Amino acid sequence: MNFGEVTLGHYLALSLLLFLIGLAGVILRRSLLVVMMSLELLLNAANLALVAVGKFHGLPDPQVAVFFVITVAAAEVALGLAILVAIFRIKRTTAVDQMASLRF
Amino acid sequence: MRWVVRSIVRFASGTASNRKSSQRMEPFFFWVLAVGLVASAIGLVVFRNPVTCAVCLVVTLVMEAALFVTLEAFFLAVVQVIVYAGAVMVLFLFVIMLLDVKEEARQSLPWAKVIWVVGIGGGAVIGVPRIASVFPGAGQALHWGEGKGGTSAAELGRLLFSSYGPLFLATGVLLLVATIGVVVLCRKDPEA
Amino acid sequence: MIAYAPYLILLLPLLAAVSIRLFLYPFPRISVSVSTLACLGSFMGSMALLFWGSSLGQGIVPALPWIEWGGFRANFGILGDPLARGMAALVSGVAFLVHLYSIGYLEKDPCRSRFFAELSLFVFSMLGIVLADNLISMFIFWELVGLSSYLLIGFWVERPAAGAAANKAFLVNRIGDFGFILGILGAWALFGSVTFADLPGRAAASSPGWAVTAVGLGLFCGCLGKSAQFPLHVWLPDSMEGPTPVSSLLHAATMVVAGVYMLVRVLPILEMSQATMMTIAWIGGWMTLLPALLACQQNDIKRILAYSTLSEIAYMVMAVGLGVAGPAMYHLTTHAFFKCLLFLAAGSVIHGCHDEQDIWKMGGLGKRMPFTAFVTILGTLALCGIPPLSGFWSKDAIFAATAHHPGLAAVSMGAGFFTSFFMLRMILVAFGGEPKNDAARHAHEGSIFLTAPMALLAVLTLVGGLLPVESYLHFQHPEAHETWTLWISLLVALAGFVPAYFLYRQATKDPISIPVLREKFYVDEIYQRVFVSPQDAFARLTDAFEGWVVRGFLVRGSGVVARASGQGLRLVQCGQVQIYAAVFILGVFLLLGWLWRQG
Repeated sequence: MNFGEVTLGHYLALSLLLFLIGLAGVILRRSLLVVMMSLELLLNAANLALVAVGKFHGLPDPQVAVFFVITVAAAEVALGLAILVAIFRIKRTTAVDQMASLRF
Repeated sequence: MRWVVRSIVRFASGTASNRKSSQRMEPFFFWVLAVGLVASAIGLVVFRNPVTCAVCLVVTLVMEAALFVTLEAFFLAVVQVIVYAGAVMVLFLFVIMLLDVKEEARQSLPWAKVIWVVGIGGGAVIGVPRIASVFPGAGQALHWGEGKGGTSAAELGRLLFSSYGPLFLATGVLLLVATIGVVVLCRKDPEA
Repeated sequence: MIAYAPYLILLLPLLAAVSIRLFLYPFPRISVSVSTLACLGSFMGSMALLFWGSSLGQGIVPALPWIEWGGFRANFGILGDPLARGMAALVSGVAFLVHLYSIGYLEKDPCRSRFFAELSLFVFSMLGIVLADNLISMFIFWELVGLSSYLLIGFWVERPAAGAAANKAFLVNRIGDFGFILGILGAWALFGSVTFADLPGRAAASSPGWAVTAVGLGLFCGCLGKSAQFPLHVWLPDSMEGPTPVSSLLHAATMVVAGVYMLVRVLPILEMSQATMMTIAWIGGWMTLLPALLACQQNDIKRILAYSTLSEIAYMVMAVGLGVAGPAMYHLTTHAFFKCLLFLAAGSVIHGCHDEQDIWKMGGLGKRMPFTAFVTILGTLALCGIPPLSGFWSKDAIFAATAHHPGLAAVSMGAGFFTSFFMLRMILVAFGGEPKNDAARHAHEGSIFLTAPMALLAVLTLVGGLLPVESYLHFQHPEAHETWTLWISLLVALAGFVPAYFLYRQATKDPISIPVLREKFYVDEIYQRVFVSPQDAFARLTDAFEGWVVRGFLVRGSGVVARASGQGLRLVQCGQVQIYAAVFILGVFLLLGWLWRQG
């Protein structure tokens, strides 16, 4: 079987697609939990692009950046979930559209 | 299936160096993983049950780890599986269990959302290949097995502790602060 | 240090005013003593300066450097020439007598601390005008005099009429002072100096004629305001709302003649322009006649005297316009004596009749207040220029100067006729006949504080014509002049008594009534129509503009716009975080597309 050449463009296109799907999740889903999962998709799309470009140029530095992204993502998830839990205690819901207390 | 297994073994042992790219297995893996990745990501966005979503996310993360392997980023692949698919996903699942979240209520068709979906989907179909091709060198094939772009854990570690030392330390501080923040945020009674 | 001693003349009243205002206010007796003693000190100093200053010569007092800026230079100095020294002695002397009189006149007023503080401030300012050695410091004291005049006219703060009169005096004076300061600036621009000592020399330098005329007329404007000459004369009759000592001191004897004094000071400038001199002479000439006419129909004893003051000052102004400063200052001096005397006598009458000022409600006072009646007749004879009283000598000197100006001679001598008429009218109605009411029936002479100053002034009125004024005013009694002015003026003045005697000998009410005179030629009404009403209309217009455009449209409008835009923008804040994210992403896409298109 021949799947043809796989170019850098393929990886970038895949990354972009992943990003758009994550974006759709962030914008469309009501559950804050799923919104945060979609945020992870966004980060992973960026990671994929970074690694692909690093491979393309033969450089290790983008991989270091991805390493940091993963670390920061872990911290972000921990904090975000803590906030989510705190909000849930008050509101008894995870629906984003219920969280509009700061509106006029 | 024989060539699949053989190529995996060869791929893993790193001996597939001097074959033509058309005969290599990487394109095959790429397409399989890409399709799986997109499918599970769409599943994450579409399914109503948070647990299903979480499972979709795990699949996505593992697929991506496999894609890292095709890009010869072995260490990152491992980190992705351990940290992301392991630790982070466990956090998500804990919270899902803790909050006992129900399925999202079915909504009447929100026109704004439909417009967004159509817009993003259409944009993706039309725009993604074009945008990706804009990138310099996007049309060039990736080269495998040339030993370039040091990807070993040793080399990454050396970089992390030398050039990126200060950043590494700052990340440590960030994690510490995040930990403290989580503890503060999740205290039952802030007054106590 | 002794050279600086003359500054004490200025400082003593100022110290009195400040210390009363700051510390002695609750103690009227002490305040009165302090103010009076300070004035006495000033008088002594002035007399010392008058008698011994001449041995020291010109520039006896070292000037203090004050303003030096570029080519401009003004010192704070004291003039030592005979004119200033004589005037200072006159002012402080009269002021001292009025201080004494005020002690009696205001003995029951609880606010007399304030009165004496203001009186001391006035003495300080007036002496400042007299002794100032340049136009700038003179102008500052000029304004201070205006302020003290304002305060003293409005002394009885509980009377609305007093407040209105004070405002009127102040505002009318502002108009004159505006011209005055323009004249000062013009003088500086033309001659490069505002110091009096420099003026005679610099004024001789060639300057464009119209500019010199303009400067002269500008300075004359100051005189018009302060000395209440037409068309700025309207404030003086109203200022009679103030206490009588104030009318006597400020509005008869000293302050209102400051304009004449100033004209004499700047005479070198005025003399350069024939047009200026003629303007001054003719305004003065007519102003002798018109107030004398008005006084014939007035019923308020103080207003009658106020109009006669206008008329007498006009004699001085006319004399200055004719270039004879000596007779002007001479008449200023004698006028200060007899007009002050007349006012003090009027005050005594008012005091005796319990604040009654209408002469038709008095009557028969000659029997009950013989001393006051006597000094009033004495002052009247001096005012009408009957020899050998002081007024005769000074008026004669002025009439002599009109010998070559028949028009001016006619109007000023005609004024003499009416002066005699209305003064005799006043005396006959107020002092003759029968008492018209109880207050007049029980009138009596005042205390020693009231009568003593009158006695002193009466003596001065008698012998004032014999004062050796020629030496310090540098002029000779007109010996070689045509004596026809003397005889005619005397005859006309005596003729004025005749109709008054027959008309008012037994009158209980005014037998003649001329509305146009009683209403003061309707000048106040004309000013009301021409100046005040349009200004009020303009004020209402600007008020409406402020209310509708500035406050309504701009101020409140901007608030409404901000509020409305806030209300509108608030709708955008839906509170849905995902919509914010969507808009944010949309923006990113648009930005990316734009960058891509850019290249």
